[in-house]
Amino acid sequence: MANTGWDEFEIGAMLRTFEGEAGDTVGTLQEDRNYTQNSSFSASVADWRIEKPVFNKDFCIDCQFCWVYCPDISIISRDKKMIGIDMDHCKGCGICVEVCPTNPKSLLMFPEQADEESEIANWPAKETKEK
Amino acid sequence: MLEIRWHSRAGQGAVTGAKGLADVISTTGKDVQAFAFYGSAKRGAAMTAYNRVDDKPIMNHEKYMEPDYVFVIDPAIVYTADVTVNAKENTIFIITTHMSKEELIASQPKLEGKMVYIVDCIKIAQETIGRAIPNTPMLGAFMKISGMYDIEFFKESMKRILAKLPQKIVDANMLAIQRAYDEVK
Amino acid sequence: MAFDKMELRDIEVWDGNFAAAQALRQCQIDVVSAYPITPSTPIVEGYSKFLADNYIEGEFVMVESEHAAMSGCIGASAAGGRVATATSSQGFALMVETLYQASGMRLPIILNVVNRALAAPLNVNGDHGDMYLGRDSGWIQLDAYSPQEAYDLNFIAFRVAEDHEIRLPAMVHQDGFMTSHTAQGVHTMDDDTAYSFVGDFKPMNDMLDFEHPVTHGVQTEEDWHYEHKARQHNDLMTKVPTKIEEAFAAFEKLTGRKYNQVEKYDMDDADVAVVCMGTSVETAREVASEMREKGIKAGVVGLRVVRPFPFMEIAAALKDIKAIAALDRSSPNGAAGMLFNEIAGALFNTDSKALLTGYVYGLGGRDLTKKHLTDLYTELQANVDAGKVLTPLQQFIGVRGPKLAFL
Repeated sequence: MANTGWDEFEIGAMLRTFEGEAGDTVGTLQEDRNYTQNSSFSASVADWRIEKPVFNKDFCIDCQFCWVYCPDISIISRDKKMIGIDMDHCKGCGICVEVCPTNPKSLLMFPEQADEESEIANWPAKETKEK
Repeated sequence: MLEIRWHSRAGQGAVTGAKGLADVISTTGKDVQAFAFYGSAKRGAAMTAYNRVDDKPIMNHEKYMEPDYVFVIDPAIVYTADVTVNAKENTIFIITTHMSKEELIASQPKLEGKMVYIVDCIKIAQETIGRAIPNTPMLGAFMKISGMYDIEFFKESMKRILAKLPQKIVDANMLAIQRAYDEVK
Repeated sequence: MAFDKMELRDIEVWDGNFAAAQALRQCQIDVVSAYPITPSTPIVEGYSKFLADNYIEGEFVMVESEHAAMSGCIGASAAGGRVATATSSQGFALMVETLYQASGMRLPIILNVVNRALAAPLNVNGDHGDMYLGRDSGWIQLDAYSPQEAYDLNFIAFRVAEDHEIRLPAMVHQDGFMTSHTAQGVHTMDDDTAYSFVGDFKPMNDMLDFEHPVTHGVQTEEDWHYEHKARQHNDLMTKVPTKIEEAFAAFEKLTGRKYNQVEKYDMDDADVAVVCMGTSVETAREVASEMREKGIKAGVVGLRVVRPFPFMEIAAALKDIKAIAALDRSSPNGAAGMLFNEIAGALFNTDSKALLTGYVYGLGGRDLTKKHLTDLYTELQANVDAGKVLTPLQQFIGVRGPKLAFL
């Protein structure tokens, strides 16, 4: 698209969200929708990340705070159950970790190259408050 | 080309009068123009309105006019404005006043030697319409002086133009037009 | 149709404002978003009255400023409605930011601009200051010289603007008071005929098409902006003039009234010509005929389409003229007048040897009299006789005080 000439696009700087008709968009999961290349859903910001969130479902209470606060709609939740992170659109801001209320946190930031399984295996223990 | 200049106060209906006259004349196949100078005039401020009538299309949009007729529908404007400005030799003045023609000319020497007709549009309007709206009586007087149209045809035409007003007001206007037609001298 | 039709006489005595309001009624505008301003107020007032009296199915949106008025029009047009409004002067100036939005978003809004002077000093009367302010905004600009034309050009504007190959907004200009408040005979079309000329509105990329969601008003930086602006200019230069000609031809077929991008009057054998806009064109025509009786071969060129500027047509109309006067009813404030510059540009690479002079006139509604024009034609003929321009290139007409001339 970056090489498109002035005579090759639709007028009015208007952008379409879907290829063809929208149909039952509301009843269709994001990953199954027919987004156009113009939709930000088609663009990945994965390479923006220096740190990535890792999700440990053992401590998650499905409070949905991360889903509410994520600025990039990158927390994947199904039937109000947190199931993971959309790593194409997460840019590693860490807000989900910040708002996670569990102890220990169910989401923690690690370097992009960290191995998810070994980080979960070495997950921090519950912090005890000093009296 | 027939050209008319109205002298009035904002709110006395000169614009409506000029447009009404243009409308009637238009139905007889002539080309017409009706306009006014507004400025930011408030109700009561002196103003002028204009008519042009011709057999061929009117292309002239200049505001400057040497009128064939001057209508003065407010009795005081003859003193506060120069109603004779840009007048021609044969310009006819129809002026609203309660005075006699001699008294009027004596009180405004600029009218000396002009063709002046008088009619008390204010009184006629007050006694027929009930308000000092002297525009339609002036048109009645104009029909008499100019002989432009048969007065019955003119009144019928004006009934159409005033049709959105209540019937009582329309009837009163017809009476006012007829009285001015009869009383102008 | 759920609304009532109006019986019109063949010739109605209407002023320019009412003529434009009637055209908006007959085009069945879906949305008018407006902030009324003198002298354009009666246009939107007329629309709202027709709406209240059930002559239109639509919506009148009263907003808090002209900026909001055009913004409302943009929203309604992007949503997929037939949209129009009216403004003048200061209101137009406040709209300027959104004018560029409307044209860049390719929304076919019709804006009736009742031309009025720009403050300061404050003035409600007619000159072309606001029209000139809009000339780089990417809108189509049509200019009416009389109430009849204010009526007709609205239909033509909708037809051109809404064409899917065009999709650009259009202004219909008329002179404040001199047209807008001057009642003249207007040949009308009946409601069905008038509506048939514009036809049902055909939406394009409309936001209310839920099956095809679209984003309007996007941001583009260095990577895209230039291409969009180039496309818009291309369409104005190459597509709009053809569509305007087609609309003029169709309108003539329907009504017998013929419009041209450049209106020529007695130009075929003319030696001297005045180029101007608005009501002045008609007055100049009358004076040109009188000049011919005096032995001066005078002609008049009226600019009907201000933008896209009919560059080739102007050059063709003036190609054999010996002396040309370009009349600008807007203070150039430190330059030659717009018409002077455009005409100079159009003639520069041609064989024309015309003596071109510019005149500024009529600011703030100052009368352009037949006497002014007679003097002007006489001056042009003197230039022809001398074979050179005897006066400065820029002169002010009808201003009090010592003669004002430059260049």
